[in-house]
Amino acid sequence: MTPEAIVETEELTKRYAGGTLAVDRVSFQVRAGEIFGFLGPNGAGKTTTIMMLTTLIRPTSGRAVVCGYDVVAAPHRVRQQLGYVSQDVAVDDNLTGWENLYLQGRLYHVPPAVLKERIADVLATVELEEHAHRPVATYSGGMRKRLDIAAGLIHRPRLLFLDEPTLGLDIQTRSRIWEYIRRLRDEHGLTVFLTTHYMEEADRLCDRVAIIDRGRIVALDTPAALKRSLGGDLITIRLAGTTAAPDLAAGMAALPLVESVRPGADGTFQLVVREGERATPVLLDYLSSRGIRVDSVALKRPTLDDVFLRYTGRQLREEEGAAAYHRMMRAVRRVRR
Amino acid sequence: MRGPERACGKACGGVPRGYGEGKAAVSGSTLLGDTWWICWRELKRLWGQKIRIFMTLVQPIIWLALMGNMFQRIAAIPGFPAPSYLDYMAPGIVTMVTLFGGIFGGLGIVWDRRFGYLQKLLAAPISRTAVVTGKMLAIAVQTAFQALVVFALALAMGVHFAAGAAGVPVLLLLAVLLSQVFAGISLCLGAVLTSHEALMAVVNFLTMPLMFTSNAMMPLDMMPAWLAKLAVLNPLSYAINPMRTLFLNGWDWAALARGLVVLASCGLLMTAAASSLFRRSIA
Repeated sequence: MTPEAIVETEELTKRYAGGTLAVDRVSFQVRAGEIFGFLGPNGAGKTTTIMMLTTLIRPTSGRAVVCGYDVVAAPHRVRQQLGYVSQDVAVDDNLTGWENLYLQGRLYHVPPAVLKERIADVLATVELEEHAHRPVATYSGGMRKRLDIAAGLIHRPRLLFLDEPTLGLDIQTRSRIWEYIRRLRDEHGLTVFLTTHYMEEADRLCDRVAIIDRGRIVALDTPAALKRSLGGDLITIRLAGTTAAPDLAAGMAALPLVESVRPGADGTFQLVVREGERATPVLLDYLSSRGIRVDSVALKRPTLDDVFLRYTGRQLREEEGAAAYHRMMRAVRRVRR
Repeated sequence: MRGPERACGKACGGVPRGYGEGKAAVSGSTLLGDTWWICWRELKRLWGQKIRIFMTLVQPIIWLALMGNMFQRIAAIPGFPAPSYLDYMAPGIVTMVTLFGGIFGGLGIVWDRRFGYLQKLLAAPISRTAVVTGKMLAIAVQTAFQALVVFALALAMGVHFAAGAAGVPVLLLLAVLLSQVFAGISLCLGAVLTSHEALMAVVNFLTMPLMFTSNAMMPLDMMPAWLAKLAVLNPLSYAINPMRTLFLNGWDWAALARGLVVLASCGLLMTAAASSLFRRSIA
C-alpha cells in the first residue's frame, strides 16, 4: 500500500450466487483527501464494489484494505472508519430529521456529550436546520438525500462512500450536493468515494475517475487526462445519402490533423482530430473535392461520455438511470399509501 | 500490504477539524447498547403512528366485549372451570394480543431490507445480533403495555384476579416471554422470506391455527382428543395455563414454574434461531 492510499484493492472480484460476475478482478487505489469516482452505466458493478468496500457483502476473491483494515478480516474496524450513504435514501420516514441523526449517532457510538453539537453541525452542513424537527415523511426528495448525507457524516468518518449521491435529483439540488461534497473535502480533508452514471458529475466533481464497465475498470485517471487521452477534438459528420464510397474512411484518415476515423450508422463518421477548428475546413474541402455532399457537421471538445464510448464502444445512457429511479420512487409511493 | 490490525495513523494523511478521528471518537460496541438503540427506533416509530397505538388498544376491547358476551352461555356447560366465560376468556385475550403483537412485530425487517435501511444499519459498527434483539425488545415493551391494558379492561368488566397485585408483574412476564417466542418466529420468517406478500401469507396461515389449537377459548377436556394433543405442543398453552391459574385460583407454583421455564427456553431458542438466520441472510 502506498503511503497515502486510503482504499486499496487487489483483483477484487464478486460473483453472485446466480453466477453473475458483477465485479471482475478490479485493482485500484483511492488516495487520502481526494474525491474519487466510479463512472459507469447501471449494472456495471459500481454498487457491488461499494458494498464490498463497506463490508456489506463478501468478496468472492481478491482483497480490499480500507483505512488500513482488511474488509474481510476486520470488518468491524472498517465500519468504524467510514461513512456510507446508499443510493436508497435510507432515512426513517416516521422519525424527524433530528431523530434520524440522533439514532445514527448512537449507532456509531458517538459520545453522548458531543452528539447534540455534532447533529447541529451536520444539519448546518446540509442546510436543514429549519426542518430538523419535522417528520421526514414531509421532506422533499432533495431534503431526504441531504439528510441521508448528513447521517453519513455524524461520526466524522475519514472516508465517505456515496452511492449515486444525486440520482434522480433536480439540477439545483445536484449542484448543492456537489458543493457540500467539495467543502467537506476542502475544509475537513474528507476522502470521498462516489459512484455515478452522470458523466457531468464525474467530470466536475471528481479528482480522479475510474471508468467501469461490465465489472472491469477500463480507464482510470483525472477527467482532464482521460479526455486528453482521446487525442483531440471530435468531429461528427453526416453525409447526404447513405452510401459512402468504401475508401472514404481511409481517405479522411490520411488528411492532415486527422487522427482517426470511425464509421457510424446512416452515413455518419466520427473523427478524432487535432485543432478541430482548423481540421473542419480541411475535411469539408476534401469531401467537396470528391463531390460528396455533407448533410451536417458537428465539432466538439471531448467529454467523459466520449471517453466512455471510446473505451467500451457504447454510450453512457443517462435516461437509463433516471428511468430506474422513477420506477423505484413509484414503488415507494405505492407502499407509503 | 498491511495486516488487518495495523492502524491507519498518519499514513492516511492529515485530517483537520476532527474528521477521521475514527476509533478515538467512538466508544466500544456493546450488544446491550446497540439493542437499546434499535429498540428506541422501533418505539419512536410506534409513537409516531398514533393510529397503531389506538388499534392495539381497541382490538382487545372488541375481543373482550364481543367474544366474552357471545360465548357467555358456554360457562353454563357442566364442568366448565370458571364462574363466567369472561373470567375464563381474559387470560386467553392477553395471550391473543401477545400472539398478534409478536408475530406481526418482526415484519418490519422486510421493509427495512426493501428500503435499504437495513443496509445502513449493517454498515454501522453495531453488533449484528442487536438488529434482531433490538426489534424483539421493542416487541416485549409493546406487549407488556398491551397486556396491561387488557388486564385493566378485564378488571373493569368485572373479571376476578385471584393472585392479587403481586400477580400482575408475573402475568406481564408470562406475556413478554410468549411475545419473544412469536417475535422470534416472525423474525426467522423475515430473514428467510424477502417478499412481504409471502410473509403475510405465512403469518396469516399460522395465527389462526395457533389460536384454535390452544386452550385460549376452550378448556382442553372440552376439545376433541386430537386437538387437545396439539394444544400440548402449542407454546400459547404454556402461557395461558399459568395465567389462568393467576386469574382463577391464585398462586399455583407448579403451573407457573412450568410455564416460565418452557416459555423462557422457547424464547431463547427462537432468539438464537432468528439471530442466526438473520446473520446468514446478510452474509
